[in-house]
Amino acid sequence: MSIQFLIALNRQGKLRVSKWYNTITDIQKKIIIRKVHKLISSRDHQKQSNFVNFDNKKLVYRRYNGLFFIICIDSQDNELSYLEIIHLFVEILDSYFNNVCELDLIFNFFKIYYVLDELFLAGEFQETSKELILERLNYIDRLD
Amino acid sequence: MSSLKSFIKAVRNSKTIATERAAIRKESAKIRTAFRDVHLDDQNRRVNISKLLYLYILGEPTYFGQVECLKLLASNTFASKRLGYLATMLILDENQEVLTLLTNSLDNDMKHPNQYVAGLALVTLGNIASPELARDLYTNVDTILMGTNPYLRKKAAIVAAKLIEKDPDLSEIFLPRIPSLLNEKSHGVVLGALYLMRSIFSNDESSREALKVQIPRLLAHLRLLTTTGYSPEYDVKGVPDPFLFVSLLQTLRILLANDDTNTNLESLNDLITQVCSKIDNAKSSANSVLYETVQTIFMINSDSSLKVLGINILSKFLTQKDNNTRYVALNTLLNVINYEPLAVQRHRATVVGCLQDGDISIRRRALELTFAIMNAQNVRVLTKELLTFLKNSDDELKPYITTQLTIACNKYSPNLKWHFETLISLLKLVGNYFSSDILSSILALVMQNTDIELTKFLVTELVKASSSFYNEYGLCLVTTWCIGEYADLILGTSYEDPVTKKSIAITEAFLVQLLETFLNISLYDESSQTNQIRIYALTAALKLSAKFKDAKNIESLRKIINSSKDNFNLEIQIRAIEYSEIFGQPITTKKGLLERMPPPPVKTHEGISLINRTSLVSKSSEHKSSSAGADSGNLLLDLLGDDDKSPIDGFNGGSSSSQQNVKHETTIDLLSDIFGMSSSIPSTTTPAAPSNSKNSDIINLFGSTTNTTTTTTTTTPVIPLPSVIQQQQQQQPKVESSVEAFNDGNLSVTFTPKDIGNGTATLEVNVANKTTSSTISNINILCAVTKHQKLQLSPITKNVLAPGDKSSLGLKITGPSGGKIKIRVKVGYELGGESVTKQFDFGSLKQTL
Repeated sequence: MSIQFLIALNRQGKLRVSKWYNTITDIQKKIIIRKVHKLISSRDHQKQSNFVNFDNKKLVYRRYNGLFFIICIDSQDNELSYLEIIHLFVEILDSYFNNVCELDLIFNFFKIYYVLDELFLAGEFQETSKELILERLNYIDRLD
Repeated sequence: MSSLKSFIKAVRNSKTIATERAAIRKESAKIRTAFRDVHLDDQNRRVNISKLLYLYILGEPTYFGQVECLKLLASNTFASKRLGYLATMLILDENQEVLTLLTNSLDNDMKHPNQYVAGLALVTLGNIASPELARDLYTNVDTILMGTNPYLRKKAAIVAAKLIEKDPDLSEIFLPRIPSLLNEKSHGVVLGALYLMRSIFSNDESSREALKVQIPRLLAHLRLLTTTGYSPEYDVKGVPDPFLFVSLLQTLRILLANDDTNTNLESLNDLITQVCSKIDNAKSSANSVLYETVQTIFMINSDSSLKVLGINILSKFLTQKDNNTRYVALNTLLNVINYEPLAVQRHRATVVGCLQDGDISIRRRALELTFAIMNAQNVRVLTKELLTFLKNSDDELKPYITTQLTIACNKYSPNLKWHFETLISLLKLVGNYFSSDILSSILALVMQNTDIELTKFLVTELVKASSSFYNEYGLCLVTTWCIGEYADLILGTSYEDPVTKKSIAITEAFLVQLLETFLNISLYDESSQTNQIRIYALTAALKLSAKFKDAKNIESLRKIINSSKDNFNLEIQIRAIEYSEIFGQPITTKKGLLERMPPPPVKTHEGISLINRTSLVSKSSEHKSSSAGADSGNLLLDLLGDDDKSPIDGFNGGSSSSQQNVKHETTIDLLSDIFGMSSSIPSTTTPAAPSNSKNSDIINLFGSTTNTTTTTTTTTPVIPLPSVIQQQQQQQPKVESSVEAFNDGNLSVTFTPKDIGNGTATLEVNVANKTTSSTISNINILCAVTKHQKLQLSPITKNVLAPGDKSSLGLKITGPSGGKIKIRVKVGYELGGESVTKQFDFGSLKQTL
């Protein structure tokens, strides 16, 4: 009952972030990304829900401008809650980059991972306070 | 040395794929060269590793950088460590051999005085721990767990949970740390502790009781959260930390599922009621909490009022604008409908309203739910709604609706007239979306009917409908068959044309014309449908030839048959030639041959599902089956109960034994020769009592699961429906090895798999008397399968066996595909006045569902 993977894709299917919480091969990863993009990009975002069944799992996604943030979870998991966590994640990115845009993510992709690793650990929620996470990230950045 | 930024730019500015590939290859080569330099300094290594990570994002190979990542994280500067650990987590996984080189660095860094360095090491361990790393480093994690730093303890708790997944023996070490973690105020630490509890619960059964001791602590957290007004740190749209809420509820329900005696249940029930009333602002964060609450309600032993509350919450979800909320509500309702069907019934209107939703996945679920709540009381209303829905529904849903609605009508129809009317409306609307199985069951239903007036009404309606909706395949097929069978009932009557309001007389010429129209329609989707119609029309033409009086019309019928003699389809051609032979026979012979078909039994159809659901329910039953023992007894009891309801053994026993000593009359032999079918048409010459079936009898028949086709009238079957033939052919046993599962010297039970796969398994159970001189009587076989599978059992053919005699019964299992076939069998019989009961398990088949 935790996140299987988290990826961010743009509309063309270019990968911006990918984080895998279980062990799979590179080839499998590529196949999954392609399948996920095919599934998500063809959906009607006005009318359809943000959940898609995916193999025996579920995808929960949100679209921010041209960028999809997609989390794959177990079929028993609470979709609504993960939908909220995606939003929290994006809000944190937004404050961290000071109005985030896709270019920020491209050039500072490793920083997204820093954020991710404060929010999730091994696919589980680790901290859910936006303030605490931002505070810590800023502190750590000063150590660099 | 170019920077990461210029590399990214170079890739992005590439106009073609070729230039992009070139840029990547060039940079990749440069990184490799740099890594070969033994004197590479920290700064340059960092730049190269960050480029390596960009290669990772691009999906390029990065394995050559694995060792460099480990070198980088061993550096003393924080920036290098940070990037090094990050790269390690992404590029390495638990299967890499170089991971052993990591042990030492992790060990040192977890003891590092700087909490952020220790944090990096913990996160890395949590992400890529292998069983070896788990065993080597668990003491470090434990030391941090016992410390006081909340930033590290929350991470350590999750890492501990992860290590237990890798090596379940570690649960003993971490179990005692839970109470102090739960005493922390920091939400992060509590979240970690909850995950640790769930991990121990699923990996170490022996610790479950110890975990349950912590329940009051969890309840205290839940209470605190519920009563907290506003907490700026964790608030999400007015809900104080929905994520902690969800995690608490999740953990509580895992701990309490199937534990109906726990003393904490009552306080949890109370708290849930409070949560439901407090968190109620229709915002998405509140909904996520309520959704989790509802799931909890149905997983634990909550009282009935709470279950009704749960259903009400879900129905409130259905009225909300947000698609996501409606989606989860329908999904959950589908899973919980069995718990409180009445409460769900109350929200019928809301559910039906969702049929008009813009999202197909919502429509699909609403549709399935509509069928799930259908019963004898609301079948009229819901059918009306569904017929309206059908008018502009998605094509992909239509086959599902026709099948489900036909099945539902069989089950719940208030009377036969309504039933027929509904079927006609359905055939008119979506006649092209019927499966052949369902069509033949409709025909069987027509033939079962003994009320002549009703049949007359039905056939007239069919003729009326099909003369304006002749491009609906299913409608035409049913009409064609009915004309052939029942033309004598309607000849000479008339109906009013719905458009022109003119009265149209049903004459011989009119029917011939109708058949010709069907034959000339080529609008059907598939050629197989066109062929099928032709086959039926040929049969109808032949049958009509015995009913018509006017020689001119009979000649037209002959033309219909003759025109198919050179059809490309072999089946049609054979039929046409055979039929034309019969056509020429004297009328007296034909009358006997072309007598009305005896009613075949209506096959029961399993309801089908649109969505692959892994439900709450099945999950909880998994838990249950792990507690074994008493449950299997219940299964058998269930079965006993079912057995009482199933149609009388005697009926089947009698008819099938008579089937064995059937002597075919010459006509039948002739016919079966004509059709190239050996005696596989089950037929009996025993004059059984004509079926005195009232409507209720017919409906009862739908409940039967007989596989053997038996006929109960004096007439002989003349022309079986093509689809019936197909079914019979399918039922011909394939060569399969049978397995003896039980033999006590008196009686043996063997299983012969017939057809296994796609979620169903059909087996034949053979029972044989193994004694040399005694007769075994009152043989009774009861079977049970695991909870997530369903079982259909046909009655045993003979329950008295002479020495060496054999008897059989059919068995059909349906369930999620991939499931193993396991059957618990209880055999009861009487031997020499003594009754014997034995029980055994059968599970040696390698094939899965």
